[in-house]
Amino acid sequence: MSERPPLPDFAASLDGAPILDRVRVVEVGDLGEIAGRLLADVGADVIRVEPPSGTDSRHIGPYPNDEPGVETSLRFAAHNANKRGVTLDLEHAEGHALWRRLCESADVVIDGSGHGVLDGLGAGWEARLADGWAGPRVWCSITPFGREGPWADWASSDLVQLALGGPMMSTGYTDHDLPPIRGGFDHSYWMGGEYAVVGILGALFGLDAGAVEGPELVDMAIHDAVSATTEGAFPSWEYRREINQRATGRHSAPGPTPEIQFPTVDGRHMNVIGGGQPRSARYLDDMLDWMDRYDAAEDLREPRYRAAIFAARNEAEGERQRFSEVTKRFVAMLTTEEAYRGGQGMHLPWGIVRRPEENLDDPHWTDRESFAPIELPDGQQARLPVGPYRFEGVPRGLPCRAPLLGEHNHAVFHEEMGVPAGDLPGLSERGAI
Amino acid sequence: MAKSDANSDRAYDERPRPLAGVRVVDFTWIVAGPQATRILADLGADVIRVENEGHMDSLRTGLPADGDPHPDRSGIFNNFNRNKRGITANIYHPRTRELIEQLITGADAVTENFSPGAFARMGFSFERLRELNPKIIYLSLSGYGHYGRDSSYVTWGPTAQAVSGLTYISGLPDQAPAGWGYSYLDHSAGYYGAIAMLLALRRRDRIEGAQRIDISQVETGMVMTGVTMLDCQINGRESERIGNRSRHPALAPHGAYRCAGDDRWITIAAETEQHWRELCEELGHPALAEDERFASLEARLAAQDELDAAITECTREREPRALMFALQARGVPAGLAQNMPDKMQDEQLASRGFYRAAPSPYVGDRFYEGLPFLFRQLGWDVRRGAPGMGEHIDEVLTELGCTPEEIAQLRAEAAV
Repeated sequence: MSERPPLPDFAASLDGAPILDRVRVVEVGDLGEIAGRLLADVGADVIRVEPPSGTDSRHIGPYPNDEPGVETSLRFAAHNANKRGVTLDLEHAEGHALWRRLCESADVVIDGSGHGVLDGLGAGWEARLADGWAGPRVWCSITPFGREGPWADWASSDLVQLALGGPMMSTGYTDHDLPPIRGGFDHSYWMGGEYAVVGILGALFGLDAGAVEGPELVDMAIHDAVSATTEGAFPSWEYRREINQRATGRHSAPGPTPEIQFPTVDGRHMNVIGGGQPRSARYLDDMLDWMDRYDAAEDLREPRYRAAIFAARNEAEGERQRFSEVTKRFVAMLTTEEAYRGGQGMHLPWGIVRRPEENLDDPHWTDRESFAPIELPDGQQARLPVGPYRFEGVPRGLPCRAPLLGEHNHAVFHEEMGVPAGDLPGLSERGAI
Repeated sequence: MAKSDANSDRAYDERPRPLAGVRVVDFTWIVAGPQATRILADLGADVIRVENEGHMDSLRTGLPADGDPHPDRSGIFNNFNRNKRGITANIYHPRTRELIEQLITGADAVTENFSPGAFARMGFSFERLRELNPKIIYLSLSGYGHYGRDSSYVTWGPTAQAVSGLTYISGLPDQAPAGWGYSYLDHSAGYYGAIAMLLALRRRDRIEGAQRIDISQVETGMVMTGVTMLDCQINGRESERIGNRSRHPALAPHGAYRCAGDDRWITIAAETEQHWRELCEELGHPALAEDERFASLEARLAAQDELDAAITECTREREPRALMFALQARGVPAGLAQNMPDKMQDEQLASRGFYRAAPSPYVGDRFYEGLPFLFRQLGWDVRRGAPGMGEHIDEVLTELGCTPEEIAQLRAEAAV
């Protein structure tokens, strides 16, 4: 195999090797594109395989100026940064043969093409196992419901996944005339992608440690990932036979709970955990001084509120309730920015309810280089949030933009796999690539 | 994979686990950190929780299995800390500190999710950790990360959800944000923590020295908003709440529809004209598909309120589970909004052995949520419930070479 592609800067550690060194990933279908992105971000050589017409996620917006185009989907741009891209028609005999060779060159295949699709073409895990392919060592099948089971071939979507897995019945409004809510956006795919990476890295580690010989399958079900991501709902039922009920802007719980999402003077919202009551007497004094500047402390200087800080969970509920009501009136006098900076300045875990893009201008994230500049396929520049882990000594840098359709056919098929360059146009004309 | 491979529970549990032999000294608490180390423990790592009895993990008093809160009978603590061992330690007692340092010297990794700087103030700076163990992996999860001007800011899951933007974009357009009804980003921060640990374990033999990993919980949320951010930057479009509707791709109908029963809802995502026609057939209202208000995707997108009302008229008398099966039989993406009793009856989860039973001396035999993937040869398992407060003091200290007399002495001095 010839040289690796140039690595994204931020994946290069001080000794020049990426965090995930010498791992080639071949990724096909759309259900695995977030897993592929997470691996690409840490330096894996991820090759995205698409049909010659482009994978489905190229045909999902948003697009610049809302003009659809196979090269310009912003969704595709976000989910496929740092990858290379080739085209292959797996139903075409020549494409099929190249697919097998490409898989054999890889450490990991991520198959997100849908339940049974690749196996139906003799191009999936079953063929890899039965026909003794030389690779990959790890085959990750990401499907909506898993490779087997009564729902394995069910139709799915992000909405359906967040319903079946449980998040929706915990998320929404106290008024149950309003429906359960699907958190925006695509989170079932993130949950599935994150867990797929856990499975892939776990399998690689186990193989490297000699625990098993391989090849190893990671049969990843998005339904299971979503079902595992509901925090208190499961223990409420398993240990108490209680069902958590949706509540506006806060944790679901079996019974009524105090509001924590308070409106501000600028018509926005603050998330005021615990209803505002500090967890130590020192911060209580700071908070009361702050409220006094707005003549807003009302009766909160009475000793019973101080005592309530140290009371057990089920005691002093009247004081807590009252504290919360006064805090709500206080927050209503502030802008969200004042409430956020003021509360956090007193070590209160108050969160400003922001639009995602407002973080682009927050100096803290600039300090941390949380956003990396990225070039879009049409040449425009933008900033993209990048991998949330920092390995000390590994600089952050520029992500590579997502591949154009078939952009790396020449590099991968000719330079790395040895297909004569003169054969590529014919393969393309015959629809194989 | 033969089905029996995956599901013959005990046989599966006897499989080799990928992280067998990896030891993690775990100072994490509440949810985000324990979520990360739970994954490592499920994969076979020996995770030893080090707890401070005087400043107890507040999760230990949450959702008690029966009666009043008790540190050893919390359902939620048990769920997030199964498979781990646990000791209590007064790290300011000189002999206890020596023993904890000895534990770190022999371990692969140290984890914590305190506010930035707190762990160093406890005497465990990265510099000290790598003096003790030149190949140590130090994973820290915090709200805003260890550097940056607001690194002292503090988060709970909902705080991070609010700041990252996830809260704002979840809910109905004419209502306040619904946010997420639980600490979603405690899960996510834990998932990224586990990923980072696996990366570091693999990388360890390829580099010199120790590794330090800094994860910000808010950033784990921001990473998931890339598409929205690009749309804003390129098209100047502010993020909005769109309820359960779908803008990219633009689909209709796409929503949660009320069914018969108390707070029962079915979600339906019609992605094709065929789905739409099959839906109308199943709802016993084939004329809807011919109604000119709904005759094309474009028309339906323009009349979503009417469309959703018309569908609800048909679903509100239907039993949601039966309707889900009927729609799926027609190939229409549809799913009941499942509550916990529904999930415990979910035949797909059952077929994969997702809920695993394991014993606990404190809360008895219980089910636990498993990992969402199945291997061919490797395995993960749920062997036992969470440790009681200080349960493994004798075991761990004996492994470190302490005699029973010394352990008794340390107990007498309240050092453990």
